[in-house]
Amino acid sequence: MGLRADITVRRGAFEVAAVLEAADGGTVAIVGPNGAGKTTVLEALAGLLPGVVGTIELDGVRIEATPPDRRRVGVCFQDDLLFPTMSVLENVAFGPRARGRDARAARLRASELLRDVAPAVEPSAKPRALSGGERRRVALARALAAEPRLLLLDEPLAGVDVAARAEIRELLRRVLAGFDGVAVLVAHDPIDTLTVADRVSVLEAGRQIQTGTPDEIRAAPRSSYAADLVGVNLFRGTLEPLPDGAARLVTDDGAITVAPETRVDGPRAAIATLKPIDVALHAEEPEGSPRNVVHGHVSEVAIDGERARIRVDGHPPLTAEITAGSVARLGLARGSDVWASFKAVEVSVIVTDEGAAPGTLSG
Amino acid sequence: MRRPIIVLCGLMLMGSACSSDDSGGSAGQGSAGAETQLTVFAAASLTGVFRDAIGPDFETRHDGVTITFNFGASDSLAGQIRSEGTADVFASASGTWMDAVQDDPGVTERTDFATNRLVIITPPDNPANVVSLDDLARPGVQLVLAAEGVPVGDYAREVLQSAGILNDAEANVVSNEEDNASVVAKITAGEADAAIVYTSDVSAAAGNDVTAVEIADDVNVLATYPIAVVAGAPDASLAGAFVSYVLSDAGQASLEAYGFGTAG
Amino acid sequence: MHRRLPLPVVCLAAIGAAFVALPVVALIVRAPWGDLGDALRGAGAGNAFRLSLMVSVAATALSVAFGVPLAWVLARGSFPGRSVLRAVVVLPLVLPPVVGGLGLLFALGRSGVAGRWLHEALGIQLTFTTWGAIVAATFVSMPLVVIATEAGLRSIDPRYELAAATLGARPSRTMWRVVMPMLAPQVAAGAVLAWARALGEFGATITFAGNLAGHTQTLPLAVYQARQTDPGGAIFLSLILVAISIIVLVSMRHRLTGGR
Repeated sequence: MGLRADITVRRGAFEVAAVLEAADGGTVAIVGPNGAGKTTVLEALAGLLPGVVGTIELDGVRIEATPPDRRRVGVCFQDDLLFPTMSVLENVAFGPRARGRDARAARLRASELLRDVAPAVEPSAKPRALSGGERRRVALARALAAEPRLLLLDEPLAGVDVAARAEIRELLRRVLAGFDGVAVLVAHDPIDTLTVADRVSVLEAGRQIQTGTPDEIRAAPRSSYAADLVGVNLFRGTLEPLPDGAARLVTDDGAITVAPETRVDGPRAAIATLKPIDVALHAEEPEGSPRNVVHGHVSEVAIDGERARIRVDGHPPLTAEITAGSVARLGLARGSDVWASFKAVEVSVIVTDEGAAPGTLSG
Repeated sequence: MRRPIIVLCGLMLMGSACSSDDSGGSAGQGSAGAETQLTVFAAASLTGVFRDAIGPDFETRHDGVTITFNFGASDSLAGQIRSEGTADVFASASGTWMDAVQDDPGVTERTDFATNRLVIITPPDNPANVVSLDDLARPGVQLVLAAEGVPVGDYAREVLQSAGILNDAEANVVSNEEDNASVVAKITAGEADAAIVYTSDVSAAAGNDVTAVEIADDVNVLATYPIAVVAGAPDASLAGAFVSYVLSDAGQASLEAYGFGTAG
Repeated sequence: MHRRLPLPVVCLAAIGAAFVALPVVALIVRAPWGDLGDALRGAGAGNAFRLSLMVSVAATALSVAFGVPLAWVLARGSFPGRSVLRAVVVLPLVLPPVVGGLGLLFALGRSGVAGRWLHEALGIQLTFTTWGAIVAATFVSMPLVVIATEAGLRSIDPRYELAAATLGARPSRTMWRVVMPMLAPQVAAGAVLAWARALGEFGATITFAGNLAGHTQTLPLAVYQARQTDPGGAIFLSLILVAISIIVLVSMRHRLTGGR
């Protein structure tokens, strides 16, 4: 039972191919940059797109040729698509009604779900009176009310203001834990996926780059998106040896100094990762021991509780993780002039061409 | 920026106030010299003979003159003349409406110029088998007449009254049309069973489109058509010349060719 | 909130308003109010009023019943010749009404292309009957419903229908429960316009259905007939038309303008 899908979708000049597998009760997250084709995969699973080639098997039954109203697939859309002329209760009761329940039973099921998923929302309210987070809750309730076997969630935290996000994440975790079908979740922000998904699939430009558990991806990200995703700085380039046993990794965006465990005697292609927590930020050029100092401007500030992730656009660009207090102390904001520093030994290097076996060499 | 727009509004208003009359006349043969315009309001039944014969003939004889005709139901035309007064000549299908115009704004050179009789017409296949005036009183016959107030409508009812079948025939009326052309149209389209129109309409409409059933002279109506120059016409002598032409041998011959009887 | 309107706009608007209002004011001023009762009776006002209401309401109902599905097919369907169909459907708006009436005559009249069969096989004759007047009024007013409804359909996000499908709704349930409620304001606006058009319809009615008091003589036809013989009656009949229209349009103003 569960979901087994192997599909290719062509939309104009763009082609998306994905293989997904999940058991009942499981949750798969699809992540990737904008335009990668994540929503396309979801819509293909829901039967909302023409031209889908391949197989989709749900609970042992092939559904790729079934029209969307007969697949037991529920969708929570990125833009909610709550029916504007109906009340919240009628929206949620729509699925059960469509599947044949009489009006009373449908309304009863709808109120139960609403009490569970959106307790603060007035059932007689109209969608336009709700906030982003409340609409998302109702959309989730509506998708669940139809008792789907496959639940598709398209960027469930998009459009939800920061204050409500933590609550919605918690709600998702609770709902998905109790959901006995298969859930496929599309997300942009890593935190959304890593807390609820059993398996994560990274999609870039229509191709699945990597699939695995969150830890597997974190341990060995295969693309900069995946690395960013799990919060790691990723550098890809050519390793050039330095006289003192260190090496320079030359990438397209700049060069850094690294300390490979094994001596490198000639140019080698390599990937290096650096944890954001190991990047320090300074308001002025630092003195002292760090081998790597990068000067640049702050391009992004993301504060999550006590932790802050700062993106610096230097050569190369870097993500640093510092405390929220440090952000205030340094007076950092978008556009701020800043110096980032890190030690060569903090960088993990993986040589990717002939010679050294792939794998982490340090850290 | 604002002032020029207001001036523009004003100019446009004034420009549109001076409108020119344009109601389908024949293009004249304009030679050197000023083009003179003559406006003739005539009953709808005169459309064929005025537009296709008498009008062009008059224009040929009077260089530089363009006639603009306005055809319609005589009651409607009389109303327009009284309120608008843009006609030079008025040719009516009945004395009543000429009386109205004579009353206001007034006419000169009023003369009866033609007569017309009434006739029954049916679609070519005569679906209700109407062969005499009395058949119009038969229940179930769909009869079309012009509305009361329109000369041919009033005449038709006179005929029916003389024949003693007005009430029964009225019960058969399915439509009161606004002029004789619309009445004929209903018959040529095959919609009604019978109608009463002028004999001039039978000759004007191509013979195959309707079947004519004569009405006996003793009950028939002789419609007398008066023509006159309307008071206030800008070129009274030209208007008078037109009236004279209509009354001349040439004009009367045209009228006869189109199924009218001669005056007097 | 006090906004200053640009002077040229006010100037043009005033001219426009006067242009439209003046004929109505003139009618009111010229009406022989003393002879009100007699004039109305003489001009057949009672019959004309009843017929006008009946014909315009029936025509509106038919326009909506057939116009909305037509608009749906035009907006959501995909078949060859769709733009030709749209042009044909809108044609009655562009054609002179008398031409429309002639067309109806040749199509549905006793000897007409389809009317012949209606008459011979079913004994139905539309000309000279109230149903004929309804057909003529529907012909000229249906395009208004189609245009308003199609515009409304285009403005509705088609993804709502996808959402409904994922919830298990078949196309008919989606159409009735999801789309139609969203479309209702536009259909209503189209229906009001259609009703107004049907009420004022003259050319197609007199050409196709004829002019007979009590059967086909709606208010516009009655006005036309009365204007020579009974000008006072004609004015009062006209004012009845104006009054009905103002009452309905004012009460519908929120639907037509979207509030305020």
